[in-house]
Amino acid sequence: MRRTIMEAALLLGSSAMLTSCDGPKPTAKSDAAVKESEFPDRPLWGDTHLHTANSVDAFGFGVRLGPEEALRFARGEEVTATTGMKAKLSRPLDFLVVTDHAEALGGTKAIADAPRLLIRDATMRRWHDMMNEGPAGSQRAMAEILDARGRNAIPEAMLNADGAAKRTKEVWNGNVDAVERYNEPGKFTAFHGFEYTLMQGGNNLHRNIIFRDGEDKVRTVVPIDPTYKATPDEIWNYMDAYEKSTGGRVLAIPHNSNLSNGLMFELTQPGGGPMTAAYAKRRARLEPVVEITQIKGDSEAHPFLSPNDEFSGYGVAGWEMNNLLSNQPKVPSMYAGEYVREALKRGLALEAQTGVNPYKFGLIGSTDSHTALATADEDQFFGKHSGTEPSAARTMAPQNLGTRKGRFGWHYLASGYAAVWAKANTRAAIFDAMTRREVYASTGPRMTVRVFGGWDFTADDLKGDWVRAGYVRGVPMGGELKPSKGGAPRLLISALKDPEGANLDRVQVVKGWIDKAGKTHEQVFDVAWSGDRKPVAGKLPSVGDTVDVATATYKNNIGAAALTTVWTDPAFDPAISSFYYLRVLEIPTPSWPAFDAVRYKLKLPPEVRMKSQERAYTSPIWYTPNQNLGKN
Amino acid sequence: MTAWRTRAAALLREPLVHFLVLGALVFVAMAGRAPDLGERRIIVDEPVVAGLVNHHVRAFRRPPTAEELDGLIRDHVRGEVYYREALRLGLDTDDEVVKKRLRNKMLAIAGAEAEASQPSDAELQALLDADPARYAAPPRYRLEQIYLGPDAPALRAAAAAEIGRIPKGARPGIMTQPLPLPGRFDDASQTDLAEQLGDDFATALARLPVGTWMGPVVSGFGLHLVRIDQRVQPPPPRLADVRQRLENDWRSSAIRKAQDAHLQQLLDSYDVEIRRTS
Repeated sequence: MRRTIMEAALLLGSSAMLTSCDGPKPTAKSDAAVKESEFPDRPLWGDTHLHTANSVDAFGFGVRLGPEEALRFARGEEVTATTGMKAKLSRPLDFLVVTDHAEALGGTKAIADAPRLLIRDATMRRWHDMMNEGPAGSQRAMAEILDARGRNAIPEAMLNADGAAKRTKEVWNGNVDAVERYNEPGKFTAFHGFEYTLMQGGNNLHRNIIFRDGEDKVRTVVPIDPTYKATPDEIWNYMDAYEKSTGGRVLAIPHNSNLSNGLMFELTQPGGGPMTAAYAKRRARLEPVVEITQIKGDSEAHPFLSPNDEFSGYGVAGWEMNNLLSNQPKVPSMYAGEYVREALKRGLALEAQTGVNPYKFGLIGSTDSHTALATADEDQFFGKHSGTEPSAARTMAPQNLGTRKGRFGWHYLASGYAAVWAKANTRAAIFDAMTRREVYASTGPRMTVRVFGGWDFTADDLKGDWVRAGYVRGVPMGGELKPSKGGAPRLLISALKDPEGANLDRVQVVKGWIDKAGKTHEQVFDVAWSGDRKPVAGKLPSVGDTVDVATATYKNNIGAAALTTVWTDPAFDPAISSFYYLRVLEIPTPSWPAFDAVRYKLKLPPEVRMKSQERAYTSPIWYTPNQNLGKN
Repeated sequence: MTAWRTRAAALLREPLVHFLVLGALVFVAMAGRAPDLGERRIIVDEPVVAGLVNHHVRAFRRPPTAEELDGLIRDHVRGEVYYREALRLGLDTDDEVVKKRLRNKMLAIAGAEAEASQPSDAELQALLDADPARYAAPPRYRLEQIYLGPDAPALRAAAAAEIGRIPKGARPGIMTQPLPLPGRFDDASQTDLAEQLGDDFATALARLPVGTWMGPVVSGFGLHLVRIDQRVQPPPPRLADVRQRLENDWRSSAIRKAQDAHLQQLLDSYDVEIRRTS
């Protein structure tokens, strides 16, 4: 092997990074060695969306904590945050996916910057020349490179000779090392993953990519970054290629549909034209879960779309005006493509058209924190990025993404977490629970929520081994209820408060359906609530409010510790498709700006959210009439 | 691990190599930085332009228009002028942001070796012996619990009275409330119980005797009566069982130590005088 002095110097220079290939190998332990329970015992809590210093933007905002610190923090160790504060999660998480932006890991720029003399590979030299001939050429070259990456067709020389892709590979391998070191099947699961930051003109179409597999498989790929004008097909091609070449499994979780200006859940093919069955099928297969709530807002329901839902509009303030980069304003007609409840309804409509429901997804929450710290608690909110770690100024500080368009620190939510009903704390069990959508979202509190759909549940079931009854005679959240000979769907419902948190106000069933004319509808039912409140004119009175904003405290003397019921759909029509998901509301509690106001003695303007009713959203259970079966 | 990698790993532990690496890093750092302060030419050639274009593409997902590119180049020139003039005026010397970034780069260099090295079994064993409790598995329980309702003084008194009068071997006769959690846990770790019932409940179990109904015990939901049937204290952790965690902790602290030692070494070559008036 011939090396120039220049390359040798570069090699030496980068030997600080050699950890990636020469670091210690973790103790071999496998998922298979962990015993699975018969039914999931308790929800596993995690964050599927976390950035560290390996993300370009996170680094730009100042974070210096890498994947290792992120993993240590998530599993309950104390770390020192970027701003110097000590941070420790009061309750460790069960799993974590570090999803740094693929673009941070890309070494494309290095090709352009490399001295031409050192590039021996003809393809790479062509790319180098294209990049250096001007913007258009550079764009073409990047398209070709990313395409080659997606097809795993990067020239061997590029991986070995010029150190460019080597850098990508080094960062990725470094991540892989840390994740492997901290993955402890049965105790704490660390997943390999990255974020594919797809954006069209500032409209958010981002996806988090999560691998089911270990280092043997994930080291054969590198994360990819979207090309200019890419559509989601690009990442799906990558995912399919990965599964084909390794025999592994990978899934994608879209997020911040609320910042997509209507593009996340379109009624058409991306770019227009009727949606094809092939597209719908592929999307449903590769994207079984959507992130519904996170720091940059909540995407469940918007009052414009759900005017009869008094609890819609949670966490939409600040995010409902523009797209992600705030370079395009939003008009209300775009909301329908942005909010999850509407997407679930659109899924029914598209299924009627194409025979396949592209939006048959489960729901999770996650943080999207750029501080390497996966925190979703109001009293200890560590901010969106290191620039918004606790400080007196952060609540009212304009935020860089759309600063001048009225987004401020307080618009960030201390949200959320992913709950997974897995039979063991392993990559395999958690990933498989995600693919069967047996997951739910929380805006932060760790409520335990179960729901089973069946035809013959009765209130008596709740007195016995109701979990077994649920699994044996029904389907859990995320499942599909098969048609029965008669009757209406019955939901076996149980919600338990966070043992370290606030009491529960109520459990609601959100039903969506499509009528025979093809029009979609929704209705929210209050199905279980605390105390002896009686609905007045169909409306359940408020649970009350014990929040003292001045001290940022609340009392658990209203609400209930647990709410259970068996609910029967009062207006069921077996001939039409429908879905049911739960929304569980806590009693009002102080929001993070209220804690900041106390901590820093702030006087905040009246528009700032000081309290809210935090919530959980389960994945839906779908009912499909007989004639539509078999097409999915 | 290939032979080449093994050799590279061994090389990494050589002090001479550290010296050379640091030298090379300084060289690279210097080469990439600080233009000659007397240099008055600013050259914008194709590689510079390509860099600007790529940066724009990364930020905005599209190449700049011709007009935007002119703007980027103008701004690059401005930036370069300001950068050089600022260095000439020594403005980098009293800027907190500049200092912080350089400090982080120094820390990364100092920690790199520890990051790549491998602890011996003896080191790991010492770490384990120093704090076995940290690595011990939590106790496991077989127990029954009865939920009585939200915490209230009257209910506490009723629960205590009930405990006093349960005949040996009998179940409590007190009114129980439904709670959608198992009444019986056959084999649950203290961690599992803390997740499901709250920390207070899980820690309270440690103080309860085995084989008899006790209470009231407070959980995140209210008051319970509890009978522990079995408490299994796992054996002290062995190196083989917790190697991975030990290595992780060792590495994390080795990096910090290396950084501290590096800093101390640097400090030794400085005279630090702290002059205070009061």
